[in-house]
Amino acid sequence: MRDGKPIITVEQVRKSWGAFTALKDVSITFREGEVVCIIGPSGSGKSTLLRTINRLEKQDTGRIVVDGIELDNDLKHIDAVRAEVGMVFQSFNLFSHKTVLDNITLAPRRVRKWSKEKATQVAFELLERVGLSAHAHKYPAQLSGGQQQRVAIARALAMQPKIMLFDEPTSALDPEMVNEVLLVMRDLAKSGMTMLVVTHEMGFAREVADRVIFFDHGNIVEESDNPQQFFSNPSHPRAQAFLSQIKHAS
Amino acid sequence: MLNKLKDRDSLILVGSVFCLALILWLLALPLSWVPAPIGPAAHQFADAAITTIELTIWSGILGILLGVVAAIGKLSPIPPVRWIADLYVWVIRGTPLLLQILFFYGLSNTAPQLQAPEFWIGVIALSLNVGAYNAEVIRAGINAVARGQVEAARSLGLNSMYTFWDVVLPQAVRISLPPLANNLVALLKDSSLAYTIGVVELTMIYTRVQAESFQPVPVSITTGLVYLVLTTTFTQFASALERKLATGKR
Ligand SMILES: Nc1ncnc2c1ncn2[C@@H]1O[C@H](COP(=O)(O)OP(=O)(O)O)[C@@H](O)[C@H]1O
Ligand SMILES: [Mg+2]
Repeated sequence: MRDGKPIITVEQVRKSWGAFTALKDVSITFREGEVVCIIGPSGSGKSTLLRTINRLEKQDTGRIVVDGIELDNDLKHIDAVRAEVGMVFQSFNLFSHKTVLDNITLAPRRVRKWSKEKATQVAFELLERVGLSAHAHKYPAQLSGGQQQRVAIARALAMQPKIMLFDEPTSALDPEMVNEVLLVMRDLAKSGMTMLVVTHEMGFAREVADRVIFFDHGNIVEESDNPQQFFSNPSHPRAQAFLSQIKHAS
Repeated sequence: MLNKLKDRDSLILVGSVFCLALILWLLALPLSWVPAPIGPAAHQFADAAITTIELTIWSGILGILLGVVAAIGKLSPIPPVRWIADLYVWVIRGTPLLLQILFFYGLSNTAPQLQAPEFWIGVIALSLNVGAYNAEVIRAGINAVARGQVEAARSLGLNSMYTFWDVVLPQAVRISLPPLANNLVALLKDSSLAYTIGVVELTMIYTRVQAESFQPVPVSITTGLVYLVLTTTFTQFASALERKLATGKR
């Protein structure tokens, strides 16, 4: 996967809130079909990086190109990038007033202009894939956290994105529900999807990641093409300290 | 369990509409059994109750539309739009409703092109009035919609218009429903002021019957009881609707 062609280019991206700088001139390229796990302490800028890639945050300076589309101030470019990039949030963010099915079909119908029949058919295929076809007509509040997150993944996939962003998708879950979500993500990784995953699930990262990026204070301080080696023997002292903390916690 | 509850609410919803129709249709019957001065005026009371309800429903619907438009105006990024919306709400909420009704009545008499039946002048004044109060309520509801809901919608590629109509507004209305229902019941009572411009609604009948009979106490009690029956039916309808829309709320 490492030799796929570049699909996301981030060049010298900086993002500040007031005097606080969350991203300090970050540059990185992601390749097609690659699964990249992003780890690092809380507040180090991991979410901010993901959120600039689909313009939920606008960078102050620097350039971001996604699948050949430059993320400038052109609303058409922004909408086009968002349609190519799916995002899964820590807190699921399912539309609470819509059923599972309506959550999944809304964007394909509105943005891709699919017929109701086509959108529904695709939704059921995806629900099958995440193991939730029996829950299509329920409301999010009637589902467990793990089920909600699987619906959120199905909802993002319904747009047939080229890239999926995951921002700590299992951090808000009770421990017994983490695996059902990781299982879906593992499947997705095997299917060749380009994935950027902010996570503290070391087992998942070891098994699935092609590359691991370690963030600290708004910088990428370590990057490794060999997750096994990174997790057993990180070179940067901050990464060493962080990993030993995580290992102790779990 | 949940389904049963939902069904009971649907029953109350349909039931209260049905009740309202039945009450309006059959009101004359029980009233005609009451001794004079009520009995002989039974049909006048019944017809006037229908007018009161018509005033309320028309003004209620237009008032919701105005409220949504004014709320969007108040949140608009375009300053002049915001100013107009603010001005509207400020003027309406800062002056007496009676004066507003008299103003539109007076206005319609200034030119033949502006002539309109009293009923519709009443509807215009009442809907502008309730619309201003609804605007505040809906604006607060829009602001109360969780940020993650908007981010999820945008990340799926939905543009700002779809995000507003499909995600924000339905949730804002659900959040605003209890205060909107209060406004509707207040509107039903406020519609009594339309008697001052000659609309033959309940309060007008009160003035007529008591002037003929010189018995203000029994006539006002009867009028009050009819209002109570109507407001109670509205309240029941509103709370059933609220519970029904609450399905799926976290
Ligand atoms: N909207 C915002 N306003 C102000 N500060 C923010 C905002 N979003 C993030 N930050 C700050 O930016 C820093 C990086 O945040 P984030 O990217 O969410 O970190 P991470 O995901 O690595 O925990 C944090 O210190 C956070 O407080
Ligand atoms: Mg984060």
